[in-house]
Amino acid sequence: MALIEVEKVSKVHNPGLADEMKALDGVSLSIERGDVAVLTGPSGSGKTSLISLIGCMARPTEGKIRVDGKDVVKLPERFLTDIRRRRFGFIFQQFHLIRELTVLENVLLPLYPLETSFRTMKDTALAILHKLRIDGKKSLKIKNLSGGEQQRVAIARALVNEPQIIVADEPTAHLDSRLAQEFMDILKLCNQEGKTIIIATHDPFIQTNPLVSKTIAMRDGRLESMKKK
Amino acid sequence: MTKHLKIIDYAITSLLRRRYKSFAILAAYSLTVTTLASVLFLTHALRTETDYIMQGVPDLIVQRTIAGRHELIPVDYAEKIGAIPGVSGIRPRYWGYYYDGLTEANYTLLGSGGEPAPLQMLTGRLPVNPGESAVGAGVAALRGSAVSGELILVNSRNIGVLFQVTGLFRSESNLLTNDLVVLTDRDIVDFFGFPPGEATDFAVSIPQSSEIQTIAAKIKQLYPDTRPITKRELTRTYDMVFGWRSGMMLTVFCAAIIAFCIMAWDKATGLSADEKLEIGILKAIGWDTADVLALKFWEGLIISLTAFLSGMILAYVHVFFFNGFVLAAVIKGWSVLFPTFRLTPAFNLFYVLIMGFFTVVPYVASTVIPTWRAAITDPDSVMRG
Repeated sequence: MALIEVEKVSKVHNPGLADEMKALDGVSLSIERGDVAVLTGPSGSGKTSLISLIGCMARPTEGKIRVDGKDVVKLPERFLTDIRRRRFGFIFQQFHLIRELTVLENVLLPLYPLETSFRTMKDTALAILHKLRIDGKKSLKIKNLSGGEQQRVAIARALVNEPQIIVADEPTAHLDSRLAQEFMDILKLCNQEGKTIIIATHDPFIQTNPLVSKTIAMRDGRLESMKKK
Repeated sequence: MTKHLKIIDYAITSLLRRRYKSFAILAAYSLTVTTLASVLFLTHALRTETDYIMQGVPDLIVQRTIAGRHELIPVDYAEKIGAIPGVSGIRPRYWGYYYDGLTEANYTLLGSGGEPAPLQMLTGRLPVNPGESAVGAGVAALRGSAVSGELILVNSRNIGVLFQVTGLFRSESNLLTNDLVVLTDRDIVDFFGFPPGEATDFAVSIPQSSEIQTIAAKIKQLYPDTRPITKRELTRTYDMVFGWRSGMMLTVFCAAIIAFCIMAWDKATGLSADEKLEIGILKAIGWDTADVLALKFWEGLIISLTAFLSGMILAYVHVFFFNGFVLAAVIKGWSVLFPTFRLTPAFNLFYVLIMGFFTVVPYVASTVIPTWRAAITDPDSVMRG
């Protein structure tokens, strides 16, 4: 059984309004456990909409999405939150870190709603920061970090809950090739630990990276092709 | 429980992170509560003072009026009035107002013959011998009597008279005694040049309060040129005076409430882009809608409770330690010699709770409601940047 199954999914933004837009139109695909899947396509092709739906951050207008066999489309909001919290780690295009908080405080954020003690939270976050070799900057505020360092923090925040699936939207858009390589090295480690990785990108560096096991091409909200390496 | 403690911790971090905004809200909110609470404390304390004053007021005061003007009353009226059934005692009172050109202030000169209870708040003693006096703190301050131990006043024959100060009224009694100069009855008669056998008015004691009106009517019948004033009439006059001033206080109160509503409305009408983004981020990384609402609830509660408590403390200090100097001029009246009295701390817990309810609850609601609108939307928008 595939880890993620998307079946005839459509998504209409702002339905019934003047700016109504059909972002996805009957997309079906599947992602296996341990895959490193890359969603490619030009801007406006529906990549971000699709990973939003896969990551349970929005609901499709039509179709079904199953995560680990469970249909998530009709689930109440609190269950979706629980799935996001336990199964997914998100890395956003602009990192979306809270700039006035320190590195450690940002990484702690996903742990606040859990019934774990402060000490456990802190130990977990420090372990991740150490693994990503940014623990030396744990007390610095985000606004004082370089782009590459900010991305490491964003990755640390995505990994701190030990998610099964990492979802990244244009993660290398603001990075030079050296930092992009570092990012892929980190993802490689995660993948070796059994994590499934889904990346929306139009960066050729990622698309051609040997780590990628599946390439899903999108165009005009439709699935253009799906190739497994 | 652990989760909520952590959310409270994050709420405090968030408030400190936005320290300038938080401080500005806290300052405005505290100021509003200080104004509201000062009005509340001041009016309530003054009413308590009024009640205190009224305790020392005779059951019935009998004045004499000629053509509607207050005139001295013959002391021999006391014999027939004292014989009316139900009257347990009657004593003539000697007093008058004195304008002191030197300090441009009005004093109240009072004969010491049998003082009401509040006048016992005295350091030293009341005058017993001719040439002695006890003075209020305001008079003592203006005339330096506390230091010199003397007071010179100009009598009805335009001659300066020297009085030794034997007593000083303590500041707790300032509302009553600030402008007071107590002399012996004989000195008062001599000072004002009262004709022999005449007093300013009578203080009549009537143990049965139900008989006061009847006795007042009998006095009026007995001596048509008198004006009996009952304690109830005096209470009503005080109520009207304080009622009128409370009206002015109410205006201040309303202005503060309006300021608070504007602040709450401004907050309720929307979140900044940064706040919306932060809510989206928190939701995307696993915060539930309820967690986000709990965060904003605690933020609102921390701000509003801190502001409420600091506002209350500031108001308490303002009214009872600094004598409500900002608002006192509105409420204390027209006396040239403003009493620098110290109000007795007195407040009604019910009013405090009501005020807490009407400030803390709307503020917390105005924090949570816009957050709820943002928190129930999908975090998808964050993904889009």
